[in-house]
Amino acid sequence: MLGFRLSAQRPPAEHRRISDVVISRYEHVYEVDPRLMQEHVRQQSLPEWDFHRIIENRVEHLVWMQQHFADSVISGDDLIRELEQEGD
Amino acid sequence: MAVPTLDTAVVDELVAICGEENVLTGRSALFNRARVPAPFPLHRWEQFTPQAVVLPTSTEQVSAVVKLANRARVPVVPRAGATGLSDGAVPIRHGILVDVKRMDKILEIDVDDRTVTVQPGINMMKLSQRLQPLGFIYPDDPASYPCSLVGGRIGTSGFSLISGRFGHTRDLVISFEIVLPTGDVIRVGDGGGRKIRKSSSGYQLKHLFMGHQGTLGIVTEATLELVTRPEAEFSAFFSYPSYLDAWRATGEFARSGLATLAGVVLFDEQKVAYLRRDDEAWIPAPDWVKSITAVAMYGQKDEVRAGAKQIMRIAKANGSTYAGDEVSQGDWWSRHDRYATPLHGRTRSGQAVLMSWHCEDAAINHSQLPAVREKWHWIVDDLRRRFDTFDDWGMFSYTNGAFRPGGDYLTEIDVGIWEQRYDEEMWAAWVDAKREIARVAIEHGGSMSSCHGSCREGEVDLLPLELGGGFDVMKKVKRVLDPNNVMNPGKYLLDQAYEEEA
Repeated sequence: MLGFRLSAQRPPAEHRRISDVVISRYEHVYEVDPRLMQEHVRQQSLPEWDFHRIIENRVEHLVWMQQHFADSVISGDDLIRELEQEGD
Repeated sequence: MAVPTLDTAVVDELVAICGEENVLTGRSALFNRARVPAPFPLHRWEQFTPQAVVLPTSTEQVSAVVKLANRARVPVVPRAGATGLSDGAVPIRHGILVDVKRMDKILEIDVDDRTVTVQPGINMMKLSQRLQPLGFIYPDDPASYPCSLVGGRIGTSGFSLISGRFGHTRDLVISFEIVLPTGDVIRVGDGGGRKIRKSSSGYQLKHLFMGHQGTLGIVTEATLELVTRPEAEFSAFFSYPSYLDAWRATGEFARSGLATLAGVVLFDEQKVAYLRRDDEAWIPAPDWVKSITAVAMYGQKDEVRAGAKQIMRIAKANGSTYAGDEVSQGDWWSRHDRYATPLHGRTRSGQAVLMSWHCEDAAINHSQLPAVREKWHWIVDDLRRRFDTFDDWGMFSYTNGAFRPGGDYLTEIDVGIWEQRYDEEMWAAWVDAKREIARVAIEHGGSMSSCHGSCREGEVDLLPLELGGGFDVMKKVKRVLDPNNVMNPGKYLLDQAYEEEA
């Protein structure tokens, strides 16, 4: 039987500590510190491709939800720049 | 405790009314319809299971089922999406559960008179998807938008996050058909016309049947507002060094008088602390950020842009710090996620544990928010000190007024609960805490629920205190409309109506 083997994947990226309770291995992606997942909730071994699939699906869902409610989004950053140019 | 079996003759008659495929008596069908997402005594699950489930497809079938229930003196409980955070859809006296999910049709779209008529089992997101190609939306927007149903929204008189612009369920539902507890069918609205928004004819019965938690009948059809879909959205999140700074800014945004303003949300310090451990938007926020406000606007592009610019001027004047487009837009778009994601609670030692999310809500005036906040956190902190199975997840306050937001706020304290650990002692402590949370709301001139309903164990004890003589009128109405007490009995202390009669 052919199939993905967890042991065959490249090692996951090194993590950096963000706070006492959070780590990060990829830009803008945060994870609960594994030390806090020892007693009641154990971390699962997740293939990297599946990890990224879940994150990308969430972003797609959020964009879909915005487009469901309105056609376009007004940017606050643009408005701040506009007000500064107007000297407001 | 075994669930009492329903008389075989009653089951046979249900099958004759709804068809064999629409009557369920299997264990999983019954147990799956016992609870809602509200905290639930798992250790006593069987106390709350129905004896039979029916899935009718027409008003006539619902009416026939209710008439049968009256004749057999069997409780009958309506259930739509079962996403409520009160216990309206929980069959606490067993009986027949009427699940309306197969009544999910759009019956008419009237572009000229701007109405859409639907059955109660349709979901708002699905409805809006059907309306989108026509340039419309149905903007009743609770946290449960992707999963709650129109019938349940009427049953709870639901709260909408964008009500400042579009109104709540009571404002978006023009009229509806309801099967009364006797099986008779009536239509209620503002006067008699199915598509009339304002009438001075007779009593305003729509509001009597709005938020009845299934105690006064079963909605079988509703005529809703067809709202022009917004061209543009603006969402802005601002940061503050303290709760009181954010609270003052919330009041200023809400007083802006901008017609496109759909809502303002206030996050307190405990909420920000909670988000810093699990929420990608706020984990990287600077340490000085202790409290947050969010502003949402909808409408035509030109009006939203002009209004948003004014919000930015107010923000600059009151010392707000804009969180940037990425956080502002992404966080607003994820506003429905609490119903779809498992949430991480923490034990006192900091270990992650899967807890159920629950929020106790109330309607509180802006002036009272700081005092109520302090008392509510004290109650939940005390609970956590005694039981390592509760977690304080902080507070949100959302503008509560439809079309003129800002005078009062749907205020919620979110509590993580490790439900698998329930026993009688823990459950009793939770019920006591809920009652005390509700008491604080009433003592500060508020209402103990803006959104969920107040018929759950604990806070329901205070309903006579909140309503005063109005509670006596409630009992009289219940007794007149439901002479045999078959319609969702045991809710809202309404059994008292029959005890007094006896």
